[in-house]
Amino acid sequence: MRACMVIGRANVGKTLFAINFAAYLGVSRLEVEFTTPDGETYRRTLTQKEAVEELTSPEPHHTLGVQRVEIQMPGLKGKKRFALLDTSGLTDGIPEESIIRRAMAQTLAQVRDAAIILHLIDASSVGRHGAVEALGQVDWQVAQFGGMRTGYAILANKMDLPEAGAGLVQIRREFPGHVILPISALTKAGFAEVKQFVWRHL
Amino acid sequence: MHNRNLAPVTPEEVLDWLEEGRVSPAEAFALFRTLGQRAEIINNQPKDAQEKLNDVLVELDALIGLTEVKQLVREIIAFVQIQKRRSEERLVTEPLVLHTIFRGNPGTGKTTVARLLGRIFRHLGVLPKGHLVEVERADLVGEYIGHTAQKTREQIKKAMGGILFIDEAYSLARGGEKDFGKEAIDTLVKAMEDHKQEFVLILAGYTDEMDFFLQSNPGLRSRFPIHIDFPDYNAQELLAIAELMLEKRQYRLSEGARRRLALLIQRGLRSNSYTFGNARTVRNWIELAIRRQAVRLVQKRGEVTREDLMLIEADDFGEGL
Repeated sequence: MRACMVIGRANVGKTLFAINFAAYLGVSRLEVEFTTPDGETYRRTLTQKEAVEELTSPEPHHTLGVQRVEIQMPGLKGKKRFALLDTSGLTDGIPEESIIRRAMAQTLAQVRDAAIILHLIDASSVGRHGAVEALGQVDWQVAQFGGMRTGYAILANKMDLPEAGAGLVQIRREFPGHVILPISALTKAGFAEVKQFVWRHL
Repeated sequence: MHNRNLAPVTPEEVLDWLEEGRVSPAEAFALFRTLGQRAEIINNQPKDAQEKLNDVLVELDALIGLTEVKQLVREIIAFVQIQKRRSEERLVTEPLVLHTIFRGNPGTGKTTVARLLGRIFRHLGVLPKGHLVEVERADLVGEYIGHTAQKTREQIKKAMGGILFIDEAYSLARGGEKDFGKEAIDTLVKAMEDHKQEFVLILAGYTDEMDFFLQSNPGLRSRFPIHIDFPDYNAQELLAIAELMLEKRQYRLSEGARRRLALLIQRGLRSNSYTFGNARTVRNWIELAIRRQAVRLVQKRGEVTREDLMLIEADDFGEGL
């Protein structure tokens, strides 16, 4: 099954986006397959509300390992099945904890095979602190890596916050030539464009 | 058992490095790009190739000893990959000249490594076929004037897209000025010029003889940028090789047999290293022991158990050998 991966630095809203995007595509009960950094897998079924409560957190590295949801996406012509993968946040430096390192290796292993990479960036933070401060080395490397392939888009998240508009302008300047979609994982703004993008690249 | 000193050469190694905390995620993404992930993602064909390159490396790493050889092979891989990346970025690239000299005694793994190199070059896209054509003097040198060039050209033609491996290459210089061996060398040199990127020539032989051979053919020496030395195995390595060979054939050594074999190896190493064929001699001993074990079991009275079928006893190696 083709995979759509959600990646980005810690606390840019990857998990909230994944949950709400799944809900947007019509998945009311999420059958999540969790893969721990040690490679163990287990499944749980959660409602959207439960998922938001349990899986998201303001603390970084709340998601460790890979969370996978299979989705049937209805389109104009038939349906397309794909796996939406939520991954743990990427750090700039080398993380001290081995479990976080393992989780990141897991993420990168999946990136190689994914049909679609959705790279989340916190636009409000870019607006507040400037691109150099808010973005990390890893964002530039991911963008360069993504530039070599199809199915890569930057999602400028948190557009519901006031500074995000200025952030989006900066992101567009920093990453010319990439597909950049402004969204809000919280309010589901911009999800139609993301859906279109995903549909096109499956 | 993967390499600790050089940059990773496969995506799997990049992931290992990331997990071990030797690179940051950002560096890992950069490495992915360097490793020519581009081709891998855009179509599926080279993705297979990438996985297979890893397979070949696993095989290479599984060879016992040969630490320097393994490092050198990785250096070559890294060099090839970086040159490819540089050409993608339209930077000046070094020409990919991969003709190689292998120096070492018989049975030190030269042919085995040459075969692996062929496969590695195929996976890297340097050679379209990567097969190994193994020849020696008699396959190249003819009996009358003009015959040699013809025979040599035939072998080169067979090796196109792969590796031409000339064992005991120094023997081409044997016999002085009038010998036809010189004609073979001239033909090889010409082919190396005419078909620069189309085949790789590996000349192999004893260390001293190869040095002498290259010294007496300065034009030849400059055409081989890579030299790989194959040191003799020590007793421990040979014993490990023997056990690996037996394990692959589903046999194992009794304690006594192990001691006997270790003794044989030590005696072999003490003798002249020219006559002791290193891993090849050990393989011959093993094959002999397997045959003797069969005779012993056929003659055995009573039931032959599964255990008996697997076990090599000390006496299977013979008394004197």
